[in-house]
Amino acid sequence: MTGKKSILLSLYNSILPVLAAFVVGGVIVALYGENPLNIYGIMLRGTLFSLKGFMKTLHFAAPLILTGLAIAITFKANVFNMGVEGQMLGGAYFACVLGFSLTGLPPVLHVTVCLLAGVAAGVLLVIIPALLKAYFRVNEMVVTLMMNYAIFEILRVLSQSLFQDPILGDVSTPSILPSAMFTKLGGSYITLFFPLVILVFAIMYVVIKKSRLGYEVTAIGKNPMFAEISGMNVRRKIMYMMIISGALSGLAGAGYMMSEKFKYTLTFSGVPGLGWDGMLIALLGRHNPVGILIAAIFFAALKTGADTISIFSDVPKEIVGIIQGVMILFLAIDFVNAQTGWFKKMTAKMGRKGAQA
Amino acid sequence: MKIIETLGLTRKFGDFTANDSISFAVEQGEIKAIVGENGAGKTTLVNMLYGLSKPTKGEIRIGGQPVKFNSPTDAIEKGLGMVHQHFKLAPGLTVYENVLLGIELRHKNLPFIDRAKQEQAVQKVIQKYHFKLDARAKVEDLSVGERQRVEILKMLYREVEVLILDEPTAVLTPQEVEQLIESLKDLKRQGKTIILITHKLGEVMALADTVTVIRRGKVVGEVDRREASEIQLAQMMVGRDVLLQIEKEEEDKTGNPVVYRLEDIATQNMMGKEVISNISLSIRKGEILGIAGVEGNGQSELIKVITGMMLSTRGKITFKDKDLTNSWPRQIRDRSIGIIAEDRYAEGLCDSMSIADNLIAGYHYRSDVCRHGIMQKKMIDQKRDRLIGECDIRMADKEGYVSQLSGGNAQKLIIAREFDQNPELLLACQPTRGVDIGSIEFIHKRILKLAAKGTAVLLISSELTEVMSLSDRIAVMYQGRIIATVHKKETGTTELGLLMAGVVPDLLKRKREVTT
Repeated sequence: MTGKKSILLSLYNSILPVLAAFVVGGVIVALYGENPLNIYGIMLRGTLFSLKGFMKTLHFAAPLILTGLAIAITFKANVFNMGVEGQMLGGAYFACVLGFSLTGLPPVLHVTVCLLAGVAAGVLLVIIPALLKAYFRVNEMVVTLMMNYAIFEILRVLSQSLFQDPILGDVSTPSILPSAMFTKLGGSYITLFFPLVILVFAIMYVVIKKSRLGYEVTAIGKNPMFAEISGMNVRRKIMYMMIISGALSGLAGAGYMMSEKFKYTLTFSGVPGLGWDGMLIALLGRHNPVGILIAAIFFAALKTGADTISIFSDVPKEIVGIIQGVMILFLAIDFVNAQTGWFKKMTAKMGRKGAQA
Repeated sequence: MKIIETLGLTRKFGDFTANDSISFAVEQGEIKAIVGENGAGKTTLVNMLYGLSKPTKGEIRIGGQPVKFNSPTDAIEKGLGMVHQHFKLAPGLTVYENVLLGIELRHKNLPFIDRAKQEQAVQKVIQKYHFKLDARAKVEDLSVGERQRVEILKMLYREVEVLILDEPTAVLTPQEVEQLIESLKDLKRQGKTIILITHKLGEVMALADTVTVIRRGKVVGEVDRREASEIQLAQMMVGRDVLLQIEKEEEDKTGNPVVYRLEDIATQNMMGKEVISNISLSIRKGEILGIAGVEGNGQSELIKVITGMMLSTRGKITFKDKDLTNSWPRQIRDRSIGIIAEDRYAEGLCDSMSIADNLIAGYHYRSDVCRHGIMQKKMIDQKRDRLIGECDIRMADKEGYVSQLSGGNAQKLIIAREFDQNPELLLACQPTRGVDIGSIEFIHKRILKLAAKGTAVLLISSELTEVMSLSDRIAVMYQGRIIATVHKKETGTTELGLLMAGVVPDLLKRKREVTT
């Protein structure tokens, strides 16, 4: 397959599920007696085609870009960090705790410390499954997946006891101090966190596309035997990938905490969480950095667009959840197909039956 | 009576012809051995017989009737059963449950499985065929040999007339092999027909009535076992016909310094069985040492050990007087050692990466293509264009994946990559397997040229002709050991054939005694 053809094919594979999801969503909108095109128009105008709306979209896209990259980089090496959600929460919590407990720091220093704490938390949480994988061949998918729930429950307990906000009395931490917050720029939604994410994105782009590590990860993902005999230390490289993934997740959580939520509650990450969204984004962006950037912005637009829809029409904002869900289904078909060659087998079978008939 | 007959059976995978118009017949009640090297097309053939793959052309006849199998179920219905090399058993279940999996016996009136009836039924078959097995034992508690008997039992229970066994002894200990041979002879006495797929000639001689030899997808011989010898079969398997005569300057290299040395190397497989033992050899500067042998005699394991893909459990490897035992592939390459991996697509190349990416693999961290951790695309592309030109690698799209290349061009890509580093030692494993004649010639010339420049070459190949035409000295591997090392000038195909069959001629023994 030539390079151009494969780009076309992956575009087609990404856009088709999206369009299909919108068609299904449109049918439901029509059931509410609204014109689907009209509704989608409102959504687009409110999120992508007005400056303010676009800024808001970018603001919400920032953590999604990071979680999308966190997923993509491990999937590329054929290891599966399914614990991005948990690592993201861990990062957010660390940043939060330092955000309200460290006093008297100048804002630049405080923000930096909190972000680094978030990264460190993400790395710490991913190192457990990474070590288990590298040295004991424990399936990383299971460990990372289950750790999400463990982390969520631990954070709940901490927020009810040690770090509970004494005034609110709810499952919530106190708010972080203003010195640890990203400030909104010029009356828009966007904060300095977004340019920081773009910087990280640029670095990751170089790492994945241009660096030796990226080259080695691709080789490991596609043919580990080949990678090993070509002198790559597969075990160590897998560790690196997991650590980078955890760091990105932790940064996503810390940034989201410091630019949007400011305190940890049980609904911090939303439904589905930022980590889970990241998985979809990575799938939609075909594990390609630029694809992930576009997919993350698109996703953030869907999320912010939900509010616009409910303001301007009778359609409930859950319609966006439906569109997302359908999209996952359609993407999953393609994912399963890529893993098993199922479509090819089906068509071959049908062809055979056709020939016999 | 001919129970199975094939007429011009052909199977193609893309451009590659795995089976080329194979016609052979199996008589009822005989033990037929199909022998050939790995990749000769034996498995493809039996897969077609068993309905696992469909012939591109040709016909299969059972008892004179043409048949078309869509699945193994069809084959079993016609009385053909197969015992796979890798067992297909459920370890947590008992023997009788495994045998009856999918055809469970039900209670007369209840919709449940009748365990007592099942157990009895299976026990009856065990007794009928004199198998030493307990129907109630759990499969996970059984030895490998016993598990294999369960596999055979599965087929016997289904009342097949013909048993196909794919490399049945590959996983067995010598004692278990003997038991299997006894069992199979017993089955034959009870009227079953047996087809044995193997490359182990000792077993063929002990069991078979007739032997069909396959090489490169073609039947190259049909012989009666009583009239055949192991040596003859070995020669037929590896091919005696010389494809190309290579001009090789004879030069005495005994004065050159030894650069590479293996001392008493041994290793164990996953099961803890020692698969190679006491491998000692040395290669001088500019010398080509060939390792010949029928495949499956430990060559693959030796390759894995010397290329850093498997640990040796004993012994020492030195390169230019420095220790190289159990080094990583990267450390080996850093010592200026080139590696041509045994399996081109599994190890040597990554077919879903670009040609340029493959051309730098193994050397991708060197400063000519990678600086400060960043791959230098321009330099990589230049290198690619240069190597494509030098080695005349042909392709449709030079930006595309390696998967577009033919076998010969893919191999040339590996040659280009490894030779470009001017290695001081080349570990060449099956360098021309499955490659067209033009590429073979090119690869052979390049290897000779490299050796002429002073590179020591270890050539491991199952093509006897290749070993004969390239090597200065030839070591023969048999059952995980090097049973003899001979000078090319002082030997011939007959002697090598004997050695490959494990027979050390008296003359050689005496010669060895003198030299050691």
